[in-house]
Order: sequence, then C-alpha cells, then structure tokens
Amino acid sequence: MPDIVLDSISRTYGGSVKAVHDLTLTVPDGSFTTLLGPSGCGKTTTLRMIAGLDMPTSGTIYIGDQLAFSLERGRSLPPAKRNLGLVFQSYALWPHLTVAKNITFGLEVQRVDKIETARRLEEVATALQIDNLLSRYTSELSGGQQQRVAIARVLVMRPATLLLDEPLSNLDATLRMDMRVELKRLHKETGATIIYVTHDQLEALTMSTHIALMQSGELQQFAPPLEIYARPANKLAAEFLGNPRINLLDGVIASGCVVCEGLQLTLSPEIAVTEGEKITVGLRAEELRLHPTSSPSWAEAHVTTALPTGSDWYYHIKMNSKTLIVRQNDTPNLQPGDVVYVEAIPNTLKLFDSNGCALIVSSA
Amino acid sequence: MRTIYNRFRIGLTPQRVLSVVFLIALGYLVIFPLFLMAKETFIVHPLERFQIPGSTIGDLTLSHWIRSFVSENSFTFFYRPLLNTLQIAFGLSILALLIGGTLAWLVVRTDIPMKNVITNAAIIPYIMPSWTLALAWIALFKNERIGGDQGIFTALTGISTPDWFAYGLFPITITLALHYFPFGFMLIGGALRNIDAQLEESAELLGASRVATLRRIVIPLVLPAIFSTFLLTFSRGLGTFGTPAFLGGPVREFVLSTSLYANLIGGRPGIGYLAALAMIVLGVLVLYMDHKIIGTRRSYVTISGKGARAGLVALGRWRWPIASILMGSILAVIVVPLGALAIDTFMLRPGLYSWENFTWHYWVGEASLSVGLGTGEPGILRNPELMSALGNTMKLAVVVALITGILGVLVGYAIVRMRGSWVSQALDQLSFLPYLMPSIALGAIFLAMFAVPRWPFPSLHGTFTLLVIACVVSYLPYAVKAGVSAIRQIGPELEEAAIMTGASWWTRMYRVIIPIQKSTYFSGLLLPFISVTRELSLLILLVTPTAQLATTITLRYTDRGWYPYTNGMVLLLVVIVVTCTIMSRRLMGTNIAKGLGG
Ligand SMILES: Nc1ncnc2c1ncn2[C@@H]1O[C@H](COP(=O)(O)OP(=O)(O)O)[C@@H](O)[C@H]1O
Ligand SMILES: [Mg+2]
Repeated sequence: MPDIVLDSISRTYGGSVKAVHDLTLTVPDGSFTTLLGPSGCGKTTTLRMIAGLDMPTSGTIYIGDQLAFSLERGRSLPPAKRNLGLVFQSYALWPHLTVAKNITFGLEVQRVDKIETARRLEEVATALQIDNLLSRYTSELSGGQQQRVAIARVLVMRPATLLLDEPLSNLDATLRMDMRVELKRLHKETGATIIYVTHDQLEALTMSTHIALMQSGELQQFAPPLEIYARPANKLAAEFLGNPRINLLDGVIASGCVVCEGLQLTLSPEIAVTEGEKITVGLRAEELRLHPTSSPSWAEAHVTTALPTGSDWYYHIKMNSKTLIVRQNDTPNLQPGDVVYVEAIPNTLKLFDSNGCALIVSSA
Repeated sequence: MRTIYNRFRIGLTPQRVLSVVFLIALGYLVIFPLFLMAKETFIVHPLERFQIPGSTIGDLTLSHWIRSFVSENSFTFFYRPLLNTLQIAFGLSILALLIGGTLAWLVVRTDIPMKNVITNAAIIPYIMPSWTLALAWIALFKNERIGGDQGIFTALTGISTPDWFAYGLFPITITLALHYFPFGFMLIGGALRNIDAQLEESAELLGASRVATLRRIVIPLVLPAIFSTFLLTFSRGLGTFGTPAFLGGPVREFVLSTSLYANLIGGRPGIGYLAALAMIVLGVLVLYMDHKIIGTRRSYVTISGKGARAGLVALGRWRWPIASILMGSILAVIVVPLGALAIDTFMLRPGLYSWENFTWHYWVGEASLSVGLGTGEPGILRNPELMSALGNTMKLAVVVALITGILGVLVGYAIVRMRGSWVSQALDQLSFLPYLMPSIALGAIFLAMFAVPRWPFPSLHGTFTLLVIACVVSYLPYAVKAGVSAIRQIGPELEEAAIMTGASWWTRMYRVIIPIQKSTYFSGLLLPFISVTRELSLLILLVTPTAQLATTITLRYTDRGWYPYTNGMVLLLVVIVVTCTIMSRRLMGTNIAKGLGG
C-alpha cells in the first residue's frame, strides 16, 4: 500500500475561518506519522479530510494510487472506499449496542459471512484483550476499555491505514503510558500506516516515525522526531518540541561568532550569515553547562531556582534579565543565589533569522 | 463553472437533499397558504355577492375589511368577538397562574405530603380534551331556559342557575383556566426548583417575614416563569375553539375562533378569514412580547441550580388539611366533571336524576324514536355513525403520529446536521411557524387552499388526506422540537463512525440514529397521537358530514342538544387518551409533561 499524499489542501469554514491552509504532505507507507500541534491548529480537520468525512475547499488527496479527492476532477471517494479506519477522539461507540455488536457492525454492513465475522471478532478481541467484555454495553466500560473497543472496531475491518485522533487524551497518566507501548506494538504487528493526532509533544516524540508539526492550519515541518528536535525548521517548531522548553536568546553575528548576552558560540564557516545580522539562538536545557569559574566565551549568571529530579538537576538561572533553564547531571548541587558561568555546547546549532526561520535547514 | 458543478455534485449529502426538500414542502404548506388566506380577504365569494351590490364572484373587494373594521356591523362581526377573546384569554391566564403557581409553591417549597400524587394528578386536566370541562359544566349547571332541561346542580339544590353563570364568558374562562393551570404548575414549579434555598433562608435570617420573603425574593426570581406561563396560556386562550363553542354558542356569545367558524359556514368566508388573520397577528404579538420580556429578564436573573433544597417551609399542623384540600380540589376538577358526564349518559330523561330514570339506552340501546330523547339514534357503542367516527379518529391518530414522528426526526436531523447554515435556520423557523397559527385558522387556511386542485394535489376537499396534512403541519413544531433535541444528543461522530464502515444513509438511520433515541421518538409519536384524538378546532372546518371524527361529531350532537351521546363520546376519548398516556409511561418511561413546555 503506497503513500498517502496531500497536495496543497485547504479547508475554509464559513468563507473566513481557515482551519487548514495549503497543506502538502506525503505520509510514507507503513509509517507512524503524527500530526502534532496546539489545539485548534487543524489536526482533526486534516484527519477528517483524509478519512473523507470532510472535504477540502481546494487541493488533491491521493490514497495510494487512488485519487481520493479532487474538486477539479469531480472526485470524492466515499470514506468506506478509502480502506482506512478512524478512531474518534470521543471514541464514538454506539451506546445501544454491545461491545461485540459495536465491533462487528462494519462487517455486517459489508455482508461478511457469519463464520468469518466470528473469527475476526475473536482475533481483534484477543489482540486488544477485550474478549471478556464482549457482551457488555459500552456505558459499562472504563475509559481505557472503551478505547480498546474503539480501536478493535476499526481494526476488525483490516484497514491499510489507521487514523487516530488524540486517542490517549481521555485516559489517566499511567494508562496513557501503557497504551503508548501498545499502540507501537500494534503498529508493528499490523504493518498498517498510522496517522496519529496529538497535541502532546512527548507522545509524538516517543511514538512516531514521522512528525508533521502544524500551527494555525499550516504545516511547519515534516520530519522524523529526532530530526525536528535537533533541527527545527523555525522558532515555532523549536519551542513546541522538547521539555523543558528550549531557551531562545537574541544575539548578533560578530566576527564568525554568535554573541548573545555575553555568551559566545563559534560558527562553522558554511553557514551563510552577514556580519552584524541580528539572529536568535536556540539552546536546549541539556546544551548548557554551568561552571563555578569564568572563561572568555562564557556568560555570568546566577541561580534562581534549583529543581532536582533524582537523576539530574534542573536550574533556572538568570543571565542579565533573561531566565534560562539548564539541565545538569554531573554538577554538584547548586543553591539559589550562587553565581555560575554558562557555557553553550550545542549538539546542533539552532539559529533563526529575524523571521523565525531556521538558518540551518533540516535535511529530511 | 466546472468546479462549481463538481462542488455541487460532491456535496450532495443526504442532509442537504433532505433540507432542500423540506424547505420546499414547508414553504408550500406553510407560507403559501398564508398568502392565500390574506388574498381571500379581498375576494368576493359565492354567497357574498348578495351583500356586496354589483359584484361578481372572484372580484377584488375591500368590503370585507370595511365591514369588519369600520361599518355599523363591525362591532358584531369583529370588535365584540375580539374583546371577548382578549377578556377570556386574560382572565384564564391570571387564574391559571394563581392556581398553578400556588400549587407549584406548595409542592416544591413546603413539606406538604403526597407530593408525587399531587404532581401526577395535576397534569390530568391538561391531558383531557380542553372542552371536556365545558361539557361537564353544561351537564352540571345548565338551566332550563337555555339548555332545555336542568343540570345536576339545579336538580340537587333546586336553585336555577343564572344565564351568566351557566353560559358565556364566565364559565368559558373558568373551565379553560382549569384546563391550562398545569402549564403554570410545571413552569413555575421548574423555576422554583432551581432557586437556591439559601437565598430564601438568608432573607429570613435577616428578619424578613415569610410573606415578605415570598414577595421580595421568590416572586422576582420566578418572574420569567410567570411571564412564560402567562403568555403561553394567553396564546392558547386566543386560539381555543371547543370551549367557547360549547359554552358560548347557546347564548350567541362569540370569540374570534367561533366567529371565524360561524362566518365560514355561514357563507361569509371573507370576514371569517379576516378573523383568522387577526388571530395570527395576535399570536405573533404574544410571541414578540415573550421575546422582549423574557429575553431580557432571563439574562439578569441568576438562578443557581446547586443550592441545597433543605429549606422547605413547614406547614405545621396545616400540613394535612392543606394537602386534603388540594387533593380534594384536584379530584373535584377531574372526578366531578367526568362523573357528571357519566351520570348524564345514564339518565333516560335528561335532567331527571333518580334511580328509576337509570338506563343503558344511550350506551347500548336500540335505535328508537320514542325512548328517552327519541332521537332515533342507537346507543353509542352500537351506533355505526359514532363508532365509525371513533374509528376514523383512531386511524387518523395513528397515521398522523407516524408521519409526524418520522418527519420530526428527519427535519430535526436536517436542522442539526446543517447547523450554521441559512438552510438550517430557515427550516427551524418555518417548522415553528404553525405554532403561531391558532389551529382553527390553520384549518381555515387548508380549507381555502385545497378546495380546488392544486398541483401536485387534486382537490382534497373532504378527504382523509387533507385531515392528515392539516394535522401534520399543525403538530410539526412539537415534533421538530423533539427531533432536534433528540438528534442533537447524538453526536455527529456516532453517525460518522457508521459512515466509515460504508453504512448507507438508510442503514445509519435505522441502525444507529433511531435506536439510540428510541424512547424519545416514541414520546414524539405519543404527543401527536393524543392531540389528534382530542383535536376539534383544527379539523372542524375540514371534515365533511360523511366522514366525521369523534370530536367533530360530538360538536354536531351538541348542536342538536343530544348531550348523553356527546358526553359518552367525550368519556370514551378521555379514557383512550389517559390510558395511552399511562401505558406509554409504564412501557417506555415517556413523559408527556416534557412535551408541554411550548
Ligand atoms: N465545523 C466547523 N465549523 C467552523 N469552524 C471549524 C469547524 N471545525 C473546525 N473549525 C475550526 O477550525 C480550526 C481547526 O479545528 P480542528 O481541526 O478541530 O483543530 P484541532 O483538532 O487541531 O484542535 C479551529 O479554529 C476550529 O474552530
Ligand atoms: Mg482535534
């Protein structure tokens, strides 16, 4: 089953609300692709357009070799013909049917014979460990169980692509952890392409093979998780991924170096910048190191808060007027008020011009 | 161009197709007849040409307007019925408020015993046909001068009732108030239930007397409900037909609805349709006031629903006496009238209340020109005319309930799924429009509209189809309201989940949408069923002598003074309606009270 291709699709509501704008994206076959972005950025809308429940105002969608949607060519493939399954954020289980009936509904609609239906029901029920719930009504299930039923209902149709809309957002923290693992296992076992929607960056980083980062209806970056983490395409992408939040410092280019608030970073010669240009540097918490003594390219700061987590320490430090967050795993315990010297040792240089675009563009 | 066409073709979803179809159908059945009726007030009809010198049938004329509003006869034709109407509507609303409000306060805010019984009993007067009480009033209080023979009251006491007491505005107002007070009971009861008891308690802690608390705190907070009740009963009062027909007819005291009826069957449709227009205008005015007054009131009345309801007023040693009086009165309003009607059906010679006079004749007797009234009519249960009328009523009730129920779901579906578009709004408002038209005016409209063939219908005059159309349009507002709220509770995702599996629209409707809200839809069927069973005003103009309904034939028998038959028919209807209500409550947990709110 080849890729799903969105070719500059837009969706406008009521003539003015641009829910999705000019989105072009190729979801690789077999990938676990996450649509990531803050609430209201158009993730659900995009997912619904792929599913065929909503129609783009313009643009083209291919699902594999099939043209799924094109206004110009007058084509809109019905959702059921797209060979994909959608798990709704609300699960949308039918309250008047038992779990078993919920799961087999689609098979009945497709007139799959009884024996095959029973076989597939048992198969998904076992896979999702809900075989003891089959005769219950959905109102008698816990949130986690409902979710499994919702997934089973979709899997039983054996879709080539699985669309999941914030599936973990209604679950409590521990259950969420378990489900993450389980979804990854599911991905591996079924071999289906998964398009996963979430606003949780950690979920996206840990589960996906690819992340499509969205903001205000537009695609910001499409790349594997670590690629986005290391080489964000713009300030938005840099800020959205990573916890704690990336430190952004304003600086200028001075003789091959970036200078911000006393902190100096050396630039490799292939980066195209002009002397005196104003830029922003992104430094993640683990890319800063604190020293008790000074050095010319380090900046002086003082600790305002110390937050030990057991394995390492987080410090909020104040450098001139700017507050930075630093992660240390080998420094002796510092106290608030201590004066420290900050060294920048970036794994990857994250420089942004005055428009917020990255100066080093991700290669993927 | 091609994209526009494609957009159209691709976007042809079931809800879009449905809403366009309904929009056209409703426009045809609701808007068009309004224009038609307005037109009729400017046209010379067959019998009218004798009153309008030098005119021929079909001419345009202003004379109906002149005769109604500015001629020496306009007081009889228009102003007197108008004043009577307003007087009755006003009086009955005040009374219904007082009765319903007091009852609501006692049940919600005091420690009165038997709350459940009282609450259930208080709804019954509304479930009975509104004119049951009118007929009962006649059975109880008629006098020999006008009614032919004496009523039960006179027979028992020997006191002859004065005309103003037995007939006319006074009993009309009273009996209607007794029919409509459940509105007040439910609306005000609902509002009282939502008041935070702490508000009351704090007033009492500050030293306010109980009366002062009631006046200064409670009443202002339930004021919106009071206004709602008033306007609701007022608008019902404007359109009501049966009661003024039964109680006003004998003394020739007309209201707009009965004057409309009299003019229409008396060959003066122009003037009749003007009365109908006047009723619609009044209805719209009331609704407008409702929006004006309630709309602004609601915004600043803050009612907290979470307050503890600990603060029940203790009635002390008055608890049981008050409860007994209440139960007694409610029973009196239910049992006495029904009992009076029943007794009348067993008295061979009307007006003579004794065991010797007891008879089964009016229920099961052979046709006879010498026994009892000497009408030549067989007893009710073996009377082919009456039984066929009852059969027609049942048939109509079932057909209308099914069609209205289905339409309610489909229109509701279209409105909810198209939410945010102008089509949805237009449908919503169009389907509400019949609510504003008093049903007799609506009947008049359909009479005017379908007396002649109108594409795609042949002339429907006197047909069952016409009755069905009128009923369906008339009850549509309730059905759509129920449909909308039912569908709104089913999130679109429940349907979309079915779309994803490839279920057709039809499969989605009958396997998902409808089963989920079974009991709601069932009440949606019950309300039109009951309404048809007791419907008089809507259909009185549309039935023909050959195909009567239980209610319309009752009116005809009353005109002839054959009260035992009339009363027996009413009792049968009451039994049917109350049984259906109770059964459906038992079986499906439906609650007719939910559908009343208006
Ligand atoms: N049916 C609709 N009508 C109007 N606006 C909508 C509709 N659906 C979504 N939107 C708007 O489109 C934007 C994107 O919505 P959505 O795709 O649901 O965001 P997300 O799933 O990323 O939270 C939001 O601003 C939302 O208000
Ligand atoms: Mg969403």
